[in-house]
Amino acid sequence: MSAPKKYGMSIDIDRCTGCGACMVACAVENNIPPARPAANERNGITWIRVFKLDNGEDYPGKRSAFIPVLCQQCGEHTPCVSVCPQQAVDVDPRTGIVGQMPERCLGCRYCMAACPYHARYFNWWDPQWPPGMEKTLNPDVAPRMRGVVEKCNFCHGRWHAAQERAAAAGKADIQPGDYVPACVEACPTGAIAFGDLNQSDGDVARASRRPESFRLLERLGTDPKIYYRSRRPWVRKAAQDSRPASKAPQASGPVSQVAQASRPVSPSKEASRG
Amino acid sequence: MKTTRRDIFKFVGGSALGVLFTPAPWRLITDTALWSENWPGIPRPATGEITAKFTHCSLCAAGCAVRARCVAGQPVSLAGVRGGLCPFGVTGHHLPYHPARLQPAAASEASAAVRDAIAKCGPAERVAVLDLRPGRTASWTARRAMAALNNGLYIAPPQSKVAVDLAKAKTVLSLGAPLFERWGTPANVFRARDGFRLIQAEPVESRTAALADLWLPIRPGSEEALALSLAGRQPFAQAAEITGLTVEQLRSLQNELKDNGPPLVVDRGMSPAVVSLNVQLGAWGRTIGPRAEAPVFHEWREAAPVTELASVPDRSIRVLLIDESAPGEYLPWETIEKKLVPENPVVAVFAWAANGYARNANYVLPTAVYPEAADDIPAAIDSPAPVFRMAVPLAAAPAGMVNPSEFIANLAGMPPSDALHQRAADIYRAARGTLVTYADGKAVPVKEVKPDDFWKALNAGGCWIGEVPVAGAAPAIRAFVAPPVSSEGLVVLAGGSPAPALASPLFTKLYQESDLLLPPDSVALHPQDAARCGVATGARAILETANGKWPVRVVTDSGVRPGVILAGRPEMAGASGKVVPA
Repeated sequence: MSAPKKYGMSIDIDRCTGCGACMVACAVENNIPPARPAANERNGITWIRVFKLDNGEDYPGKRSAFIPVLCQQCGEHTPCVSVCPQQAVDVDPRTGIVGQMPERCLGCRYCMAACPYHARYFNWWDPQWPPGMEKTLNPDVAPRMRGVVEKCNFCHGRWHAAQERAAAAGKADIQPGDYVPACVEACPTGAIAFGDLNQSDGDVARASRRPESFRLLERLGTDPKIYYRSRRPWVRKAAQDSRPASKAPQASGPVSQVAQASRPVSPSKEASRG
Repeated sequence: MKTTRRDIFKFVGGSALGVLFTPAPWRLITDTALWSENWPGIPRPATGEITAKFTHCSLCAAGCAVRARCVAGQPVSLAGVRGGLCPFGVTGHHLPYHPARLQPAAASEASAAVRDAIAKCGPAERVAVLDLRPGRTASWTARRAMAALNNGLYIAPPQSKVAVDLAKAKTVLSLGAPLFERWGTPANVFRARDGFRLIQAEPVESRTAALADLWLPIRPGSEEALALSLAGRQPFAQAAEITGLTVEQLRSLQNELKDNGPPLVVDRGMSPAVVSLNVQLGAWGRTIGPRAEAPVFHEWREAAPVTELASVPDRSIRVLLIDESAPGEYLPWETIEKKLVPENPVVAVFAWAANGYARNANYVLPTAVYPEAADDIPAAIDSPAPVFRMAVPLAAAPAGMVNPSEFIANLAGMPPSDALHQRAADIYRAARGTLVTYADGKAVPVKEVKPDDFWKALNAGGCWIGEVPVAGAAPAIRAFVAPPVSSEGLVVLAGGSPAPALASPLFTKLYQESDLLLPPDSVALHPQDAARCGVATGARAILETANGKWPVRVVTDSGVRPGVILAGRPEMAGASGKVVPA
């Protein structure tokens, strides 16, 4: 039996152009449907979402950065695991991946309320693709039904496929590079790296130890496995702020979202707002 | 014992409570969840043999190498071979199922009308093909067809005659070129990125500007004046006034280009002014050189020359065929319309969706779309070597789609031919360069490949890479002309780089389910300008420019220069415009 792994990511914000390739590649891989007409940025499904962050200055002093936010794969006191009444969320001890089982999910959305990163999404609608486009669905991932929560699972289907390939080749374990999530594969700038954090000489583990490396809302003690890095001090500071100050990042940032503790709004409520 | 109503209630209540302590209701919930996951409303992905196919993306001029994962022959995901793909490339396999796709239709009516109009052309009237992406083998077919007609014209947007080599540059000054947004091949650009310092001179904080080592926020339309001053042909003080930069900034920029070489200056289309500046900085033959084309079948050289739209006389085109099947640079319809004869011109558009020039056409001929269409992609602007690579069909196009090359060749009475195969054979005969195959990652000199294997490899997604041409003598330095700077109204700039007209329905992730991209029907304004125009974020408004009026949604962004409107679509751009509340 192979040693347990602790898969994680290192995201170089200084290389992210905010092109969104990771977002659409994730949707392609995980059979996430296009938005319904009533969907918006609060009830849409984007397992990985790139936020635009800025330093709060006005033109020409304004500087922007792009920060991809996905499930942070918390390692300690995983909030979504502890609140789920259905045990639909668990941490795989072999990989450290926080998994979501839609078959068990009741749709109570406690996990969404508990997640400090707002990285969980609720299916407000049945999944639907334009006619014919369902032919392009990935056979390794089942589309989820209306009424359940879903989130990033580091493309768990790819992990299974890599395990099968390794077994077929007579290998005891998968090799680094054999298993890469879709967002990592798609990133044209190479800003996202993925690997085993337990492998101390691996690229991701080394990147996580760099001085400019940080994690989102680190003080919460959830031990996220997504490490970000930036040489820009204002970006690093923004990751730890819980509330935007006058010169802090503006409302489009993930941190400010956390601060506002915005709850996903049901489509009906959204519509009634006019 | 008498059973009372109270006993019945007790029994029912107790039973209900008791059931909760049994597995039954929980099991029911689980089973319901399992059942609901597979109810008929939820599509089931098809299964089958999983294979990998290789091709090249033809959605833009970069032509990235693509590995497609196919299930039972149907592509289900696309990935880059030498690096990642842009979001358009990642979702290219969705385009055949786009709701806006044109349905197959008979081309006979259009063909008859076009033939009739050609026959009735007056002595000064012309038949023209407008090719949005010149340099393809299909472009050569169109040029040959136009040469075969006595009054044929082949029109194409201006193309850069130079190619750049970012890997050799130490300092890159970009005058508004969207370097990180599909200006070149993403894999090449990002591989070279760590080797050069990027200075981006641009009025708005674009994605490229956000990641540049230095962003110089210049006034819109002052890029050429900046080039002029850096070339020493305009005093810094004058250039500072035009660009909005300080004299110190200009001097420091000039010193950096001289001291931290080899330098490279780029703009969107590598204009003659920018090429001249590169020559003056000593970059010719180092980071910039002539753009080479893959060999062309010798008999094809008798083709119509490439004409720019501006040099076509007004009111002279009787029949215009627009090939929009391969997306390219947008030319405003107003400019094209001026070239048409005033009475009954015939405009036929080859397109896969009716959202571009199709709106202005008499006939719209539906074509195959990537990844159904077979086409070749000329070398990108950041490729110093000539290349020949094909967008190999990954899926079959529906019956009834029109092939633009065949249609145009047929009009000119040219016999049907497999032009791609002919050209590949000619490249093989030259016996130069290397054949790269992605399935096995090999690069083999063409001399060592058999003729059939060469063609098979190209059809399996391989790529021929020629030799980098000798730079030769540098082009003559162009006499610079200081551009006029508009001061009336707000300047409307197109946001981002040229993008395919339509993208996968999954792009809703980027502008509906998040606010990452400026939606096509939106404009971004500085908050001060928005307040002055009486609009706010999310408001509906009308954008008015010399090119027309568009209903738009307003987004405010303090990264947009005051006095500038950033538009979601290229046709909205204009020297002057205004936003009024709807």
